[in-house]
Amino acid sequence: MKTGYYVSLHAEILGDRVIPSTKDCVDAYRVPILLLRAAKRGVPTIPFLITDSPKRIIQEFGLPVIVFPLSPFTFNRLTVIKSRSTLYKSIKKLSFNHRYTVCAQPLYGELISCKSFFGYCHRKDLDVKDTARRVYQIFRIPLCKLLIQKSRDSIYLCGLQPLNLDEITVSDLVKISRILSRGEGLFD
Amino acid sequence: MTRIACFVEKYNFQHAREAEALHLFKLTAEQMGHKFDFIFKSDLSEIPNYDAVFIRATTDPLYTSYLVSKTAWELGLRVIDDPNSIRICANKIHQYELFEKHNIPHIPTLIISRDEIHHKQIQELFDLFGRPIVLKAPYTSFSKYVEKVSCETSFRHFARRFFRRSDMLVVQKFMPTRFDWRVGVLNDEILYVCKYMMPNGGWKHGVKRKGKNSFRWGRTVTLKKINAPSKLKETALKACRIVGHGLYGVDIKEVNGEYVVVEVNDNPSIYRGYEDRWDRDIYVKIIKYLAT
Repeated sequence: MKTGYYVSLHAEILGDRVIPSTKDCVDAYRVPILLLRAAKRGVPTIPFLITDSPKRIIQEFGLPVIVFPLSPFTFNRLTVIKSRSTLYKSIKKLSFNHRYTVCAQPLYGELISCKSFFGYCHRKDLDVKDTARRVYQIFRIPLCKLLIQKSRDSIYLCGLQPLNLDEITVSDLVKISRILSRGEGLFD
Repeated sequence: MTRIACFVEKYNFQHAREAEALHLFKLTAEQMGHKFDFIFKSDLSEIPNYDAVFIRATTDPLYTSYLVSKTAWELGLRVIDDPNSIRICANKIHQYELFEKHNIPHIPTLIISRDEIHHKQIQELFDLFGRPIVLKAPYTSFSKYVEKVSCETSFRHFARRFFRRSDMLVVQKFMPTRFDWRVGVLNDEILYVCKYMMPNGGWKHGVKRKGKNSFRWGRTVTLKKINAPSKLKETALKACRIVGHGLYGVDIKEVNGEYVVVEVNDNPSIYRGYEDRWDRDIYVKIIKYLAT
């Protein structure tokens, strides 16, 4: 765990209100839990399968698929797999030779990655904006990247990734400061 | 009839005594009129078909067992170990902060960050706790990632290794004892009491064999619950209450007649003929808890 986790933990134990909570931090970056909790609160999510078997992935979803490793070492890096031979190789690699499982999801349409700042997502699609807001209401992750699949007229949440410091641009900082100066997003 | 899923991994069947204990759980559940199935890491989609989940595979928020626990919890099933207990017990820093807050007697402990590793700080730690001191990674289990260090060089060596997976480490006073008490607790009730003896020449229950990837374990001496010191049992129950109401194994050291908590473990080992030697009813009690 990183220093930020322990800072949140220490504050929680002292009885302070913290965003994000340590529980939500752990849950949001584990894709199956993210999708399970989001689906419970009405966010459209993609079906997923936890397995280490390429055969089962093909039986359930066919190709192409998106795969997230569920090992203790890497767990929010996504791989898009389009062919059967790549699937076998990738699953072997991502599951550390079948020691751990992966979370596989069908790829329905276009895969979008959008930055979310306190639940605000600067995109034109209203559905994406609404998903970002609802995911923030559930997990309270202030800065993150949402992975969303867009197919025809529907969108589905399929993952959440951390937003690294080098990915935050000057214009992003302006947006974040505007949100915070309005007093929105923290403990409302 | 309650449908119970027991989440296991292949290694749970490697030790004969653990495998026997698992089969006893199954037998007990079936004799009590419940369904008891072993499920593995590829059967997670089966969880909604059960009423309760019993996790026997090693727990950690980064392992599949946490996904099992959280899925069961979100679906409203009865679950041992619950996700909150896994989060607390898998992180020693979380535990020690809670022990501090709730005045649970524990081994003198300090938490240090990566930035604090410098000559002056290391010397201060040796001055405070004496030599040697114990260095622990927050995610330790089964005596792994716990080392005794006597000099700055070995301190830096092990700290560098443990910092690979965590930005913080636990530093503790070294308190050598011939054994650690292990108290099994379920839902605020004592299940069993044993002594985990240190193997010859060892200072912790499991000692890594030189040049091998296996451990040499000390003996397990089980006591009748009634014969165990009441202060020990009280300390164990007090420590468990701050974690939750599930199944725990509390490690306690007895130093000059005082009991100090080493750690509270979720997913405690249950081996046939060890933990259940005098208290054969532990299987019934756990199944009853899951079937409630």
